[in-house]
Amino acid sequence: MTYQLAQVLISGIALGSIYAVMASGMSLVYGVLRIFNFAYGSFAMWAAYFAWFLFNHFAWMTYPAVFAIVLPAMFLFGLAVEKIAIKPLRQRANWEILAIIATTGLALFMDNTSLAAFGPIQKDLPFIIKGTMNLAGFEVSRHEMLTLGVGISIIASLQVFLKRARYGLAMRALAQDMMGAKIVGIPLNRAFGYTFALSAVLVGISGILLVPRYFISPSGGWEIMIKAWVIAVFGGMGSFIGTLYAAFILGIVEAIVIWQLGARWPIVIWFLILIVTLIIRPGGLLGARE
Amino acid sequence: MRLNKDLSVVLVMLGVLLALPIFFHGDPYVMHIIIMSLIWGGLVIPWDLMMGYAGIFTFAQFAFFVFGGYATAMLTVYLGISPWLGIFLGGCVASVVGLVLGVICLKLKGDYVALVTFAFHMILVPLFRSGKEFGIPTGGPIGIMGIPPLAVGGFIFPSIDKVPWYYTAVGLAFLVVFVVYKVIHSSFGLAFVSLRDAPAFSQSIGIGAYKYKLIVFVIAAFLTGIMGAFYAHYAGIMSPRILGLDIFLIVMVMLVIGGIGKFPGVMIGAFIVTFLSEFSRPLGVYRLVMFGAIVVTSVVLMPEGIMKAVDLVSPAMARFMERKIGQLKSKRPFA
Repeated sequence: MTYQLAQVLISGIALGSIYAVMASGMSLVYGVLRIFNFAYGSFAMWAAYFAWFLFNHFAWMTYPAVFAIVLPAMFLFGLAVEKIAIKPLRQRANWEILAIIATTGLALFMDNTSLAAFGPIQKDLPFIIKGTMNLAGFEVSRHEMLTLGVGISIIASLQVFLKRARYGLAMRALAQDMMGAKIVGIPLNRAFGYTFALSAVLVGISGILLVPRYFISPSGGWEIMIKAWVIAVFGGMGSFIGTLYAAFILGIVEAIVIWQLGARWPIVIWFLILIVTLIIRPGGLLGARE
Repeated sequence: MRLNKDLSVVLVMLGVLLALPIFFHGDPYVMHIIIMSLIWGGLVIPWDLMMGYAGIFTFAQFAFFVFGGYATAMLTVYLGISPWLGIFLGGCVASVVGLVLGVICLKLKGDYVALVTFAFHMILVPLFRSGKEFGIPTGGPIGIMGIPPLAVGGFIFPSIDKVPWYYTAVGLAFLVVFVVYKVIHSSFGLAFVSLRDAPAFSQSIGIGAYKYKLIVFVIAAFLTGIMGAFYAHYAGIMSPRILGLDIFLIVMVMLVIGGIGKFPGVMIGAFIVTFLSEFSRPLGVYRLVMFGAIVVTSVVLMPEGIMKAVDLVSPAMARFMERKIGQLKSKRPFA
């Protein structure tokens, strides 16, 4: 029991690191563009399908090569989506509602395209590294440890990017005060485009890393979208440390729920967590009190 | 009731619909498509009231629809109550769900409402599938079958001849349309317009967004629940299948094509899209790809939807109608 619990905790933490990547892309777009991207999870599924396609059509394919191909593609795709579907809405009076509907329509378009292209049967990706290793007396899968490392390093580099890089600073400025950012000469449209593209890359990474645990399926993105949002809300929208805490806490909660109740229930538990958070503490764990 | 553009469009639609069975009563397939258009219209009209007028970004329409349907299904199948009472109670159950959801949602920012209601929609699938584990006989993944058809006196609505179903559907859908019309053209509608255009000022003169929005939430849920309950009796089966995202997408196209906040455009959208959906069945899986693309392109290019066309035609038509009615009134001897 204790042994098993420890294993569940370890895999929950590994899951949490991917969730942290996933949620930071979501809250980045919400903070900077002030829109809620309902197609977020579908982006993850497209990235994962693309990876699956590469693995199945090129025998020599390896994970570094997959990331080197898929992530730039996701970046360009994100740029294109922002330019075609989001940018024209920004001038409209009721752009908030139009953005929600446009991204939901986009999500369903993407899901059904996946269905048409790859069929309803779930797809799987190979493990990055096979086998298990011994960590302080526990058998842990090497793959999970690697995803934990990858997740943490991506979060760290995202943080460096936002604190140091030119466009990172621009994104933070936009999140704080759009008018002020405009006045000091930040090119709004380009910064919005890059932000959206960056979030597409982040969710693409997490989509691929999630796969050996969750299968790729045409409508698998919705759970990812809801989870990313719940993490962002639970941690406190815009609070980086809060998002990290929330990702790890919810990753562990999910691992325990699947272990104890079965795979059907995590989404219900996530919903309850969302509702309770919104009722008791709408600002989230570490967000500003509203 | 002053005759304006919205009402004249509604009355024209109602007139056309009342006359249609003269031509199509022998064709159950066409009748079925029109009945489904009316059912989806009755779902999407309250949705437009919330989205386009009250400014509530809700995705809970199908939740209300399904609660209404399941409520009447369980009550009529297991307790044997009259289907008509079942439809009414279905609306009541849905409005309780709407009240609870409204209390939770209306303190939140717009996008959060969209997320909470959408997530609510998503969790209903596992909940209805495993209702038995909580002691609620939802029929599992298959749903509840053998829901009794409607009946008047001793006359049970037949499944072959759709005409009685048709007129009931017209009646219920236009009940929904008229209630929504009254809400939009009442002090509620004014309150929403003022809250939308000058939120700070309207709150300062005492227009409480929360109260109005909560009432709209309950009304919309009730109306949608009624349509869901009617659907349950019409189809004879209620299953979690109705919560599928394919149907969700199709109804969303109706909303977008009809024009958000352009009452009663979404009703026209419901007809266009239901027929389009039937005729594009040969496209198979590409049908939904097409609908997804329609949502994005029409939100980007044509956010006002089909009512843009009506806007162009209607001033002339409304003037014509008012003149005609004026002539009729002046001919009445004791008016």
